[in-house]
Amino acid sequence: MKNELAILCIEDEPDVLDALVRDLAAFEDYFLVETASDVNEAEGVLDRLRASNTAVGLIFCDHILPGKNGVDFLVELHKNPDTRLTRKVLFTGQAGLEATVTAVNRAGLHYYIAKPWNPEEVVACAREQLTRYVIQAGLNPLPYMKILDTDQLSAAIARRDFLTDR
Amino acid sequence: MSRIRCILLVAGLAALSLPLWLSLDGLSLGGHIALGIFLMAAIFWMAEPIPIYATSLLVITLQVLLLSSQGIVVTFSDPPTVAPEAVDSEVWVIPESAYSSATEQVYLLESNGSFRGLSVEVVERGNAGVLVRPFTIPPDTELLADAGHWRRGIEPVSYTVFLGTLSNPIIILFLGGFLLAAAAVRYELERNLTRIFLKPFGNAPSNILLGMMLVTAVLSAFMSNTATTAMMMTVVLPLIRQLPDGDRFRIGLALCIPVAANIGGIITPIGTPPNAIVIAALAEQGYSIPFGIWMLLTTPLVLVLMAIVWFTLMRLFPCKQAQVELELSGNFQRSPKAIALYLIFGTTVILWVTEAWHGLSSSLVALLPIAGLTACQVVEKQEIRSLPWEVLWLVAGGIALGISMRDTGLAMWLISGVPWGALGVLGLLIVFCLVAVTFSNFLSNTVTATLVIPLAIGLSVGGVLPDTQTLFTVALMIAVSCSLGMALPISTPPNAIAYSTGLLRTVDLAKVGIFTAVVGILLAMASALLLWPLILPSITG
Repeated sequence: MKNELAILCIEDEPDVLDALVRDLAAFEDYFLVETASDVNEAEGVLDRLRASNTAVGLIFCDHILPGKNGVDFLVELHKNPDTRLTRKVLFTGQAGLEATVTAVNRAGLHYYIAKPWNPEEVVACAREQLTRYVIQAGLNPLPYMKILDTDQLSAAIARRDFLTDR
Repeated sequence: MSRIRCILLVAGLAALSLPLWLSLDGLSLGGHIALGIFLMAAIFWMAEPIPIYATSLLVITLQVLLLSSQGIVVTFSDPPTVAPEAVDSEVWVIPESAYSSATEQVYLLESNGSFRGLSVEVVERGNAGVLVRPFTIPPDTELLADAGHWRRGIEPVSYTVFLGTLSNPIIILFLGGFLLAAAAVRYELERNLTRIFLKPFGNAPSNILLGMMLVTAVLSAFMSNTATTAMMMTVVLPLIRQLPDGDRFRIGLALCIPVAANIGGIITPIGTPPNAIVIAALAEQGYSIPFGIWMLLTTPLVLVLMAIVWFTLMRLFPCKQAQVELELSGNFQRSPKAIALYLIFGTTVILWVTEAWHGLSSSLVALLPIAGLTACQVVEKQEIRSLPWEVLWLVAGGIALGISMRDTGLAMWLISGVPWGALGVLGLLIVFCLVAVTFSNFLSNTVTATLVIPLAIGLSVGGVLPDTQTLFTVALMIAVSCSLGMALPISTPPNAIAYSTGLLRTVDLAKVGIFTAVVGILLAMASALLLWPLILPSITG
């Protein structure tokens, strides 16, 4: 069940990226946690994941990056059918009002985390967003019951007939 | 993984081709074909290289192709036929090859493509052929020109027999149940009923555990065990979170739901798919069990079993707290559609339970929710599309397999050679019980019922079971046993759900699951000996 879903973190400062990945340690047994330092590298990671049939459930994306900025990248991902359902989190201290509005309106932004962040908020956010992804993408919830929101996943099983008597 | 799958698929195909390379004494060619399909299905159902419902559809397809009048084997085999010539009104001339001296019969081509044997007396053998009498047949009748032709071994039936399993009365009954459940979920009826039912149980941990088990069992008797478990987990998880990490009662709470859901399915004919397989197999033999009678037969043993399991869970997983807060909020919906649902739900359940009095079969009653809920648009396209159709297909394939196993003589052939009679009825019950419980721990419960029930039918047809009442007893025992296999996380979807929460370990599940199965078997045995003989005569006559 490992490697069926990935979390992608895009951040150009290595220390910040390390800290974020450390905060997500609890998820590593259940999800593939991938990192990239800019959009170019992120696109490479996405290609590789696509080739191994691994969907990206959640993206944490910084705004100010070398090269293309984070919000523009999220807008692209939102337009791409492969990553349309992917939960998108803007993870930044420097996005201005305009960029944030663009992210909400045109990238279908799901969550905004302001730096410096609270580790508990990151964990809660990842848990909530990945739960929604599993339900919306129609994945079998059982492998994720332990790590994600068990109540919501149980309710989804009852409501949507993911599993049936056999 | 994919290599194992390839091996399994090849093994299945090899089993299917069995009639081409194996000839078994006393089994017709049709029986060989049915055996090939049976073995392929058994391999696919057990090891699941393809989904179990896909195997069921494959079974139906293969039966239509290989065993039906309209299938490729019968359509394209084109066995040689010959028209007998009349010498006078009684004596006919037929070619030597058309007469089988072994059986002293000739074989008449029937309109459905099978050949009917007709005993004849040989008057004279000559160069022109054999003169036989009496041979009174309508004009234009054709005989099989080669009495030893292989096609005589297949007695095809219309393909509607196999396709019809998809709308077998028991399938319609289940469809009615599915629609009721889908509507209940849409209008939160099951949640609200849970809230009402749980209220009287108060806040004491032992009472709450009992309440949870009873509500789960009752809901799973009418809804799918899996959906019930998932819904009840959302009720029980907030309770579990109130308890400190080390409190063993957390395990008890998480365990009681799947156990109660598994055994709750036993209570009604629509509780769980194995019941459908058993009821359909009896119906093929011309016997029916009214809905209410089924409940009367199984409810006592389920209630006693629940009480014992409850007591045991409280012992094994005691609660350190004196009280647990159970908070359930919500209101019954009052929209016109919700009210229509309540009325249809109530009427249907009442008519089902009272079937023995009014005589309308439960499948007919199921048309009420099917037509009523769709006409009132209580369920709409979205709910209809998300019904668990694959469960219906799984059951239909099981019914179809049972039909050809009986009709081709395969079921009889399988049981011949074993001196079943020496076991006695009690021994037979124990054997069926243990086989069904063991299999259902590892396999789908429905598949277990599908593989085991044809043997019981064979024993009945073969005269090993002394009377109809014994057949009913064995059949009920198989149905009950198939629901008792719950020792592992993979045994049933309810177990899988509870286990996936991480609240319980495999060893907890195994301990309680095995205990429940053992006590369940003993109680079923007690029912078979003490209770069922009082009730069954009213339906077996």
